[in-house]
Amino acid sequence: MRRSLLKLAAATAVAFTFGSAASAQEYPFRDITTAVVWGAGGGTDSINRMIMAEMEKHLPVGISVTNQTGGVAGSNGMVYVMNQPDDGYTLAGISESNVTAAVQGGWDKKFDFWHPFIVGGSPDLISVPADSPYNSLEDLVNAAKEAPGTIPAAASGSGSIHHLNLLAIENGADVKFKFVPYKGSAPGQEAAIAGEVALVVTSLAEQAPLIAGGQLKPLAMLTPDAVTFEGKEIPSAFSIYDGLDKYLPLKQAIGFAVHASASDEVKATLTAAFDKAIASDVVAEWAATNNYDVSGKSGDEASAIFSNLESNFAWTLWDLGAAEVDPSTLGIEKP
Amino acid sequence: MIDFVVAQLLGFSSALYILVVDPITYVYLIPAVFLGIVFGALPGLTATLAVTILTGFFGNKFPLDQALIALIGSYVGAIYGGSYPSILLNIPGTAASAATSMDGYPLTKKGLGGEALGLTTTASFIGTLFGTFCLLIFVWLLLIVSKNIASPEKALLALFGILLSGTLMSQDLVIKGWISGLIGLAMAMVGLDPLLSEARYTFDWSYLLSGFQVVPVLMGAFAIPQIMDGMREAIKLMKVPHVGRIRPEAREVGRHMPTILRSGAIGTGVGALPGVGEDVAGWVSYGVGKSMSKEGDQFGKGSKDGLISAEAANNAAIGGALIPLLVLGIPGSPPAAALLGALKINNVIPGPTIDPALILHIVAILVLASLTMLLMGLLTAKIFIKILRIPQTVFLPVVMVLTTIGSFSVGGGINDLFLMIGVGLVAYAMNKMHYPIAPLVIGVILGGLFDETFRRSLLISDGDMTVFFSRPGAAILLTLNVLLVLSQIPAIKKMFAGLTDKFKRKVVK
Repeated sequence: MRRSLLKLAAATAVAFTFGSAASAQEYPFRDITTAVVWGAGGGTDSINRMIMAEMEKHLPVGISVTNQTGGVAGSNGMVYVMNQPDDGYTLAGISESNVTAAVQGGWDKKFDFWHPFIVGGSPDLISVPADSPYNSLEDLVNAAKEAPGTIPAAASGSGSIHHLNLLAIENGADVKFKFVPYKGSAPGQEAAIAGEVALVVTSLAEQAPLIAGGQLKPLAMLTPDAVTFEGKEIPSAFSIYDGLDKYLPLKQAIGFAVHASASDEVKATLTAAFDKAIASDVVAEWAATNNYDVSGKSGDEASAIFSNLESNFAWTLWDLGAAEVDPSTLGIEKP
Repeated sequence: MIDFVVAQLLGFSSALYILVVDPITYVYLIPAVFLGIVFGALPGLTATLAVTILTGFFGNKFPLDQALIALIGSYVGAIYGGSYPSILLNIPGTAASAATSMDGYPLTKKGLGGEALGLTTTASFIGTLFGTFCLLIFVWLLLIVSKNIASPEKALLALFGILLSGTLMSQDLVIKGWISGLIGLAMAMVGLDPLLSEARYTFDWSYLLSGFQVVPVLMGAFAIPQIMDGMREAIKLMKVPHVGRIRPEAREVGRHMPTILRSGAIGTGVGALPGVGEDVAGWVSYGVGKSMSKEGDQFGKGSKDGLISAEAANNAAIGGALIPLLVLGIPGSPPAAALLGALKINNVIPGPTIDPALILHIVAILVLASLTMLLMGLLTAKIFIKILRIPQTVFLPVVMVLTTIGSFSVGGGINDLFLMIGVGLVAYAMNKMHYPIAPLVIGVILGGLFDETFRRSLLISDGDMTVFFSRPGAAILLTLNVLLVLSQIPAIKKMFAGLTDKFKRKVVK
């Protein structure tokens, strides 16, 4: 027993020596792994694969992207990366939806555990089935005012970014729809096409093929600016209802993160590579073809965005009764 | 209709072309078909197991397009590979090839083993293609149903899938199949509920928040009992006889063509019944062959027609089993249930709203996989035969390790392994008591869908139950569900039996 303990101690000592020798070397000297907390083929996954391939060009090492899915709001992957050393060799591929992991009981950290980098996101919009009687946001809102809480609306799951956008438009235009949750955007959009719901709130990237295919009719963007899509202008809801800016915009924030406890050197190296990658034509082209807006924010700026999202999401879920953990116990402030 | 067929064929051609020119395809396909044949050839390892283990491995870590190549390749390989020990040793490698041994082994005893293997290979190839072609065409059902499918229909369809697989998979009492299915349905309720995000049956354990994961359940339900059984009654392997020439003569194949096509049609039809797989297809086709073939009296004594009846049908059942899986989201056989699990962990829910391009991709994989199987069968069969000399006691522990790695690699941590073992022990006990296990797995997979769509229907209708029969699609499905349950009530069962008896007598007269 004693001997094995000695061996253990020796091994630990060796490991520490190597460890300190390693940290003396300049970051990065070995390959980086990015663990995406959402499934392969999804938005967060494809954005991470794209941006990591671009960042590799500005780093002396390679970056491999894996997926660590499962848990609540991506908690499995975040817990996995959390348990790795904060040396910048394991990054987490994340999105705005991860901010609810704590209040839903997936893990017990506030989102400021991370030092985030935001690649971008796709703006949300409100659409109706192609054969819908509503031809403008006003039509829809007026109909909802006549029969409050009866017009069924799809907007992904409870507490998703799209659900928050739906709540925001309800507050801003002072109407009430009947919220019908779906597991993800695609089933909600399918339900709109099948006529099960009268309207759907998801992102432009997700709706683009359906709008182009003439199956959905876009009514209004939930961002301050109108968008021209396939030669047609989709007006901004902001120009129709004043006061929306109190609640909106709430935008997707997809990107990656390193431990906030990582050294300044690690953060600076990653930021430099990230900034160069964001400025590249590849990213601009990718964003244009996939209907994404590029953000490029990192560090404190990105943290501010995430903490705003976190308080919005967390308190909305708590008010809906869908949160497991009281956000105030986690130190999440009210929006 | 004709337009649709032409469009399907064109789409299929381009999907096949993309697959053929991509070198990655072969990286997945060749080892997968090889592995499938090995699994099929080793008694005790099944097609379901091959697909299940690969689901664990590829799971959500590889792009779905590529993972499907491996999964379908192993499926096709395993159904075919089962014929080796059936023919050579009179031990069916999988349940699917049990009927094959009826005539295969007598042929071996006559010294015609090689010829039997060659004919089997060719018949399996043509059978697979036949089933695949049917899959390609029958997807038009998709067009008809997809317009009428919303939450109420989805709920009733999921329920129908669970009940029907329970009905058809039961060995003795149908209610045992339903019990198994309802256990699966209950297991699907664990975790965050899909509509309100409330935690259900999680006992404050965060692992359970994401519910029972499909892969560990699959592994536990299909692999563990299989391994335990295999280790308990490890079959002593006999000496593999000399086989001789394997490649069949074209004339010989041509002579049996009518049998191959008839068996292909039967196999596809049986495979398309939810929950009934390749094993039943083989037997039904063998039975029909016995009464229809000119040499019916020779069946069981070494008839090539008998051999082909079984083998073409069990491979055709693959395409058949994929029809309800892709069109309705109800797996047509246990390996297809494993395939459903693989699709589900990639967030693809097969059914009326599936991407048609994915179906074409799957059809292209099937065609390429059957071609690979044909070449491997004809050129390297002698190598495969050597695999039969590996004792099960060596092979099964290796499979256990693979199963464990597969379960673990999905990412749920050590708890997934506890889940796998727990489900495995329960499944073993259920097997021993003749409770079919496939309905449980289908219950776990479809249960979530049922729960979500059933409650959403009521949410939209404000709790009004009439949505389940006021819509035409829902009304039909509800009727089917009710009939399925009623048909098992003794009094009604007797009435039905009386009716069919009368009908049968009329036909015979």
